Amino acid sequence: MGSSGSGKTTLLNCIATMVKPTEGKILLNGEDVSAFKGEKLAQFRGKEIGYLFQDFELLDNLTVEENILLPIAIRGENQEQAERKCRELAEYLDMQDILDKFPSQISGGQKQRVAAARALISQPKILLADEPTGALDSRSAKKLLEKIKGVCEDFKTTVMMVTHDANAASYCSRILFIQDGVIFHELRRQIPEESQHDFYLRILEVTAALGGGSANVL
Amino acid sequence: MKKRAIKKDFYVEIRKSLGRFLSIFFIVAMGVAFFSGIRASEPDMRYSGDAYFDRNHVMDLRVIGSLGLTEKDVEALEETEGVEDVEPGYSKDLLLNVEGNYKVLHVASILDSMNKYTVEEGRMPEKSGECLMDGDFLKAHGFKIGDKITLSSGTKDAVTDTLKSDTFEIVGSGSNSTYFTYARGSSTVGNGEVSGFLGVLPEDFKLEAYTECYVSVKDAKPLVAFTSQYDAKVEKVQKNIEKIAEEQGKRRADEIRDEARRKLSNAQEELEEGKKEAEEKLTEAKQQIDDGTRQIQEGKEQLEKANEDLKSGRNELYASQKKIDGAKREISNGWSQYNTAKKEFDVQESAFQEKYLAGMEEIRKGEEELTKAWESFHSQEAEYNKGVGELAQAKELLEKLLESLESGSLPLEQVAEIQAQADGLKAQIAEKEPVLQAAGQQIESARAVLNQKQQEADIQFSEARQQLEQGRATIESGQKQLEATRQKLISSEEQAKKGEEQIHVGWSKIHAGEKQKAESEALLVENEKKLAQAQEEYDQGKEEAEQEIYDGEEKIKEAQLEINKIENAQWYVQDRSVLPEYVGFGDNANRIRAIAKVFPILFFIVAALISLTTMTRMVEEQRTQIGTLKALGYGKLSIAGKYLNYAILATVGGSIFGVLFGEKFFPYIIVNAYKIMYTHVPDVVIPYNWEYGIVAAGTAILCTGFATFFACYKELASQPAVLMRPPAPKQGKRVFLEKIPFIWKHLSFIWKSTIRNLIRYKKRFFMTVFGIGGCMALMIVGFGLRDSIFAIGKLQYGELQLYDGMVILNTEAVEEDRQEPMEYLSGEKAVSDTMEGYLKRVKIVKGNEKQEAYLSVPSDLEKVKKFQVFRNRMSKQEFQLEQDSVILTEKVAKLLGVKKGDWITFDDQDEKKMKLQITDICENYMEHYLYVSPEIYREIYGEKIEPNTIYFKMKDFNEKKLKEIGENVLSKRGALNVTYTDNIQSQLDDMLESLDVVIVVLIISAGLLAFVVLYNLNNINITERKRELATIKVLGFYDKEVSAYVFRENILLTIIGVMVGAVLGSILHRFVIVTVEIDSVMFTRIIGNLSFLLSAAFTCLFSFLVNAVMYFKLKKIDMVESLKSIE
Repeated sequence: MGSSGSGKTTLLNCIATMVKPTEGKILLNGEDVSAFKGEKLAQFRGKEIGYLFQDFELLDNLTVEENILLPIAIRGENQEQAERKCRELAEYLDMQDILDKFPSQISGGQKQRVAAARALISQPKILLADEPTGALDSRSAKKLLEKIKGVCEDFKTTVMMVTHDANAASYCSRILFIQDGVIFHELRRQIPEESQHDFYLRILEVTAALGGGSANVL
Repeated sequence: MKKRAIKKDFYVEIRKSLGRFLSIFFIVAMGVAFFSGIRASEPDMRYSGDAYFDRNHVMDLRVIGSLGLTEKDVEALEETEGVEDVEPGYSKDLLLNVEGNYKVLHVASILDSMNKYTVEEGRMPEKSGECLMDGDFLKAHGFKIGDKITLSSGTKDAVTDTLKSDTFEIVGSGSNSTYFTYARGSSTVGNGEVSGFLGVLPEDFKLEAYTECYVSVKDAKPLVAFTSQYDAKVEKVQKNIEKIAEEQGKRRADEIRDEARRKLSNAQEELEEGKKEAEEKLTEAKQQIDDGTRQIQEGKEQLEKANEDLKSGRNELYASQKKIDGAKREISNGWSQYNTAKKEFDVQESAFQEKYLAGMEEIRKGEEELTKAWESFHSQEAEYNKGVGELAQAKELLEKLLESLESGSLPLEQVAEIQAQADGLKAQIAEKEPVLQAAGQQIESARAVLNQKQQEADIQFSEARQQLEQGRATIESGQKQLEATRQKLISSEEQAKKGEEQIHVGWSKIHAGEKQKAESEALLVENEKKLAQAQEEYDQGKEEAEQEIYDGEEKIKEAQLEINKIENAQWYVQDRSVLPEYVGFGDNANRIRAIAKVFPILFFIVAALISLTTMTRMVEEQRTQIGTLKALGYGKLSIAGKYLNYAILATVGGSIFGVLFGEKFFPYIIVNAYKIMYTHVPDVVIPYNWEYGIVAAGTAILCTGFATFFACYKELASQPAVLMRPPAPKQGKRVFLEKIPFIWKHLSFIWKSTIRNLIRYKKRFFMTVFGIGGCMALMIVGFGLRDSIFAIGKLQYGELQLYDGMVILNTEAVEEDRQEPMEYLSGEKAVSDTMEGYLKRVKIVKGNEKQEAYLSVPSDLEKVKKFQVFRNRMSKQEFQLEQDSVILTEKVAKLLGVKKGDWITFDDQDEKKMKLQITDICENYMEHYLYVSPEIYREIYGEKIEPNTIYFKMKDFNEKKLKEIGENVLSKRGALNVTYTDNIQSQLDDMLESLDVVIVVLIISAGLLAFVVLYNLNNINITERKRELATIKVLGFYDKEVSAYVFRENILLTIIGVMVGAVLGSILHRFVIVTVEIDSVMFTRIIGNLSFLLSAAFTCLFSFLVNAVMYFKLKKIDMVESLKSIE
């Protein structure tokens, strides 16, 4: 978490290899992702990570199902297997009934769920999400986060999310606060002792301290 | 304040989006340049041509008189209204032997004021016998300055009938302003094709009249050639000249008639003289013959007389002979008498002789005895005398001795001795003296006896002798008698001999006379023969003379008829269109115009559309700004003004640049390109043709202006709040293909997306398809134009008219001469088949439409199948020329609007008019033909066709051999001209050569068009879809896949564009072909498969190039930037 311009999206983008870090390295399983090039880079993007955009970035002229299948279809993987996986995910994310629709025909929450499905279909090791709830109403956000949480726990996928929203953040197990490009605080939820609500309150405290513009840290 | 902010914003906008500004600027510049440039090429070609014509003072009109032109004609021409200058000249087509080939040279007198020459090497002729040779010809055939050439006429007329000398020295080479290209026109001599020209001084011609007059028209120079103004001006003067033509023609004919009459009367006089002379000569000859006859007659008479003389001579001779014979007999008798007498005499004589001899013997004996007696007596007497003598001697000695002794002088000793001697002597004397005395006495007695005896014997003897002498005398007289007889006989004989000799001489005389006679006779015969010959000759001469006189009279009569037949001189007033390639030049200009009508417009439309999309896109992109400005209270006009100004500034700038550049560049390229063909036209005049520039610029400005205005208007109509938000994304839609699961199911959804995308962005779709289609169409037209023209020759002469050459016969020639070419061709081994036919230029009328065409009548309906294929162009179905067929060729049918079964009026311009029903329309490309059967011809003309054309085919095509055959045919008097089909083919090739340039221009333009369109649209496409592309990149698409995602669309668009272009191109091609083709030719409507392939390949290549550039652009897409844009 962090305020606008603190560098959290940049960090995420660096990890997603959309931007190259000017200094330092990003190691994933001991590999420097920023050094990837060409095919390996595309492979990494396609298989190792999933990306969830704030504005969903669904392709307008593809149906929901096609959008979900896009990352693996291009690899020419088994069509049937892919479709089965897609249906599985759709069921999981509660959107079986919209698979044939175009993005313009569904709601924002649905769109983001579709985007999530698309990000997860190749079973990435890490899911990067840039304010996935930013364009959603709270209900949709809640539902989305719950679903993502569930899936990722099943798939053993790490979710790395950038958000302003403390509520969204409360779904996480570890929160890093960034200010002016520097990590200055970290919160960890004590699972299972600490409830999500308590964790939420803790987050609020930290944000309030940050929002107050104070340099004071707890 | 507001305004300043807007103004600042405007400049900042331009600077910020300089790429876009420049792209509009250049697209407009290109469109305008292309449009106005190609449009301007047409007038510029005319200007260039006109500059050339003006500079070289190329004639406006040429007047040719069928009977030549005289000074009076020149004067009359000069006085004609609208004529500025007239210059008469001479020309003649002659042959030059170049390594065995006879090349036709157009020999013309050099004019002072018109049709200038340009010397390339050497100098202009300055004196008689010098010439300037065609530079192209000189180079082509390796002549050099200083070479001497000798011309021949190729006809029975000598070169020196026309020219003073047939040999010229080349003093220079160059070009003549009436020849723009390599083409030199056609000729009626040699192989029918002029190969070059020769400029000589007018005084080298020795014709009595000029062959042509060149006319320049007043005020025509400022007008531009090939324009209707110029044509109208010249035509007016042409009409004026034609008005005086009849009168001048009559005058000229009268002149010639008078001259001919004068000559005729001279001839008549000559004939009369000749007649007189002939008569005189004949009379003289007759006289001579008569003399000869008389002489022969005389000779004959003389001969007769000689004959008689000979005869009498002979008779005389015979008589003489007889006499001589008688005399001879007498002589012979005489001789026998004489001989008997002789015999008798001889007997008597011998008897007498015996007697005589005996008597004589006795006498002799007696005398001998006597003699003996005398001898003994004489010997005694001698002894006696001796004794006496000795005594005497002894006495004397004694005396002496005695004296001596007496004298006592003697010595004593001797005296004794002497005394002894003298004593002995005295003893001796005393002894002897008595004996001597006795002997003396005896002797004296013997003497007496002897004397006595002597006396007696003498008497006896003398008597005997006398008797003998008497006998002797008798005998001797007998002998004498005989002798006399003999003498007589001999003399008679001699006489006879003499007579015979005379006869002999007489005979030889007669023989000589006879020989002479024979000779004379022979001579006479000969002379008679000669005379007969002379007579014959005379008769013949007479006949000949009569014949000649008759012929002469006949000729004079004929000449009289001829003179009566001399028609008034025909004037041919020709404008520049008779110059080789002049019309072609204009046609080429028109072709450029036709092309300019199509391609630049296409180009222009694309340019306008692209600037339109660019502007629309710009306005759309800046909707937020527009919304902000609107929210800030700016008026619609000031907001729209920015975009309008932006668009107009770019467009105006581009237009000005385009006009300035295009109207110089394209005409320069095109006019220069045509210079490949018009080698001798160096002028390039390319002024600015403002009207095209203004039209182009105006249209461009209006287009972009309106486009921008409407784009703004649409945006400005919305609420600022709406404008501030990004435009609602276009909805994904199912496309019609999805309704066909059979296809749709089998598409990967990448393809599905591509197809949906294509349909979603309709504007881009159409623009791209239009751009690529336009590119494809341009190239198809370019290549297709080539195909269409290229195919004509192949189709016309390979599939329809199957002959290799055509001989035009001279119908004026006599029958035998007319047969000659046919005989030659049938005999020539290399010729496989020949066909005779009738060909005539006629008019075909349908309603108000009139067209000229060739009436073609084959002599044989069977044979025509081998020489001509009649078929329908579309269905390729063949049909035959039947007895009742009237077949019209396609193009003329189209021009006249004639369909199968329609009636046309046939007008052969010799008052033969007839309605004919067209039974079929056949495929044909060159010229127009009306094919009818000989039967229909007979129906029209009421007589059998008289062939005036021979078509021939070769066994194995060989150009050299064909030309050789052509030359041989032309050497026959009956042949006027030979046309080779391969020659026409090469003319087409020349035409293609000039078109190649146009095609290259088209392909380059097409490429530019494709590039501009694809680049621009791709650019817009990529900008518009940056987010999407970034997303799929993030989703792990390879760069290749990202490009493919875009290119798949481009490839599809290219394929669709190519297909659309193929159709569009075919239509355009048809349009261009119809516009470009001249009336007498039909280009094929066929575009070769290769042309489609090539066009498609080029189009794809351009598309590929653009995509290659785009690939790098796609790689560089900044994902973060792209995805961040709306926040």
